[in-house]
Amino acid sequence: MGNRYLAVAFAATASLLAVATPGQAQEKLMVGSECTYFPFNYRDSDNVLKGYDIDVANEIAKRLNAKVEYVCMKFDGLLPALLAGKFDLIAASLSITEDRRQKIDFSVPYRLSIGQFVAPKAKKLQLFNADGSLNKPAFKGIRVGIQRATTYDNWFQAIVPDANVVRYEGVEAIYLDLKAGRVDAIMTNPMKTYLEFLSKPDGAGFEVVGPQITEEKYFGTGAGIGLRKDNPELLKRIDTAILDMKKDGTLDKFSKLYFPFAIYPIN
Amino acid sequence: MSFELALVWESLPKIVEGMGLTIELLVLSLVVGTALAVGLVLMRISGIAVLEWTAFVYTYIFRGTPMLVQLFIIYHGLAQFEAIRDSFLWVFLREPFWCAILAFSLNVAAYTAEILRGGIQGVDRGLHEAGRALGLKTHQRFLYITAPIAIRLSLPAYGNEIISLLKGTALVSLITMYDITGVARTIVAKTFAPYEIFVSAAIVYLCLTWLIQRGIGLAERRFGRYVRR
Repeated sequence: MGNRYLAVAFAATASLLAVATPGQAQEKLMVGSECTYFPFNYRDSDNVLKGYDIDVANEIAKRLNAKVEYVCMKFDGLLPALLAGKFDLIAASLSITEDRRQKIDFSVPYRLSIGQFVAPKAKKLQLFNADGSLNKPAFKGIRVGIQRATTYDNWFQAIVPDANVVRYEGVEAIYLDLKAGRVDAIMTNPMKTYLEFLSKPDGAGFEVVGPQITEEKYFGTGAGIGLRKDNPELLKRIDTAILDMKKDGTLDKFSKLYFPFAIYPIN
Repeated sequence: MSFELALVWESLPKIVEGMGLTIELLVLSLVVGTALAVGLVLMRISGIAVLEWTAFVYTYIFRGTPMLVQLFIIYHGLAQFEAIRDSFLWVFLREPFWCAILAFSLNVAAYTAEILRGGIQGVDRGLHEAGRALGLKTHQRFLYITAPIAIRLSLPAYGNEIISLLKGTALVSLITMYDITGVARTIVAKTFAPYEIFVSAAIVYLCLTWLIQRGIGLAERRFGRYVRR
């Protein structure tokens, strides 16, 4: 019985859709996002969607001459929902990884995936040589805190396998132990650490140490717009839009709305 | 949902590596905690109000709060104070291992003191009187009559306490240590196979529990050899 009602509902919806999409209408892009991930995609106090991901998605739509509409859901539901056709794009700081590439297509990256060390200023750790290369002996005798099973963990196991790494479940405990001095440095995402730690009173005695670490093999190429594999034409248009935004300084402008540094891949 | 038996076999050797730390924590906390417990129970039965009261409050606090909260207070809480970070104590408290030993020992002491008190109270009055009639002094009566019987009476409950401490040691995985549970969680984070890996960890715990049960069983027979029929 329920099925019959459903069928009626479907028929009604289908006819509505047919009316709502006449041939010449402006293209509409449905975009899935998390809407809770400050400052990348979030709602401000007036319930307006904002953030770096949202700015980028809006700008892409503008350059594609399309209308844009957002669907908000939990992060782990985004990929299945995209595949199920609930929306056309994901703009949610989605990192480009091999696993995900098997299911969906990615645009060129519009945001970096990187790691950087944070340590107490007073320690004056020399983790890097003057030329920016890693000073491996400096890791002897210090402890570095990282989150378990993250890209940072993989990087350490490959690059400095004999480093004394302390693995944590969550971010809070890492910062507690960094402040207490149980670990001498941590490796983390410089964007997040700036927002959550360095820009706050708690982080006053701390600083980032050395350059951003971007090795693609471990950190991936960054975050991109995700879309289904059935639309190479749309992918090409989005790629072009992002590359243009990189060139004409739009991504730089968006970065600086939230951070004092650029967060898109410059090369 | 499938259960990959192969994963259990692969992960077991790694998890057994974490067993070393689990056993270290268990044994060291038991030794320190039990020694403290003897002190506490002597305070409890001393007949001196201040000592009795102190022991009671101590037991109340450590039995009345979760071990995880105690561990966090010691690990994260104490580290907050600069005075502690600057003192010699920090040499120990900086290490998660010693924080865990401290928390577990204090906890074991509280429970074991109660167990021993129960054992001591279970010793028949008549035996005391017999000892006095034989001319034994108070400390002699305690050492040769009360203590052996109290230990026998306490053993089953003490065995329980050892087993619950064994399981309690899993909490150290929350303060960056690689005990059985810590190793298992690390493997899960890589393989996304919680079912198989945690079942492996459970198997290792069950083996340890079985050993403890056997050990306590043997001890019960030894201490109870004169009451066997």
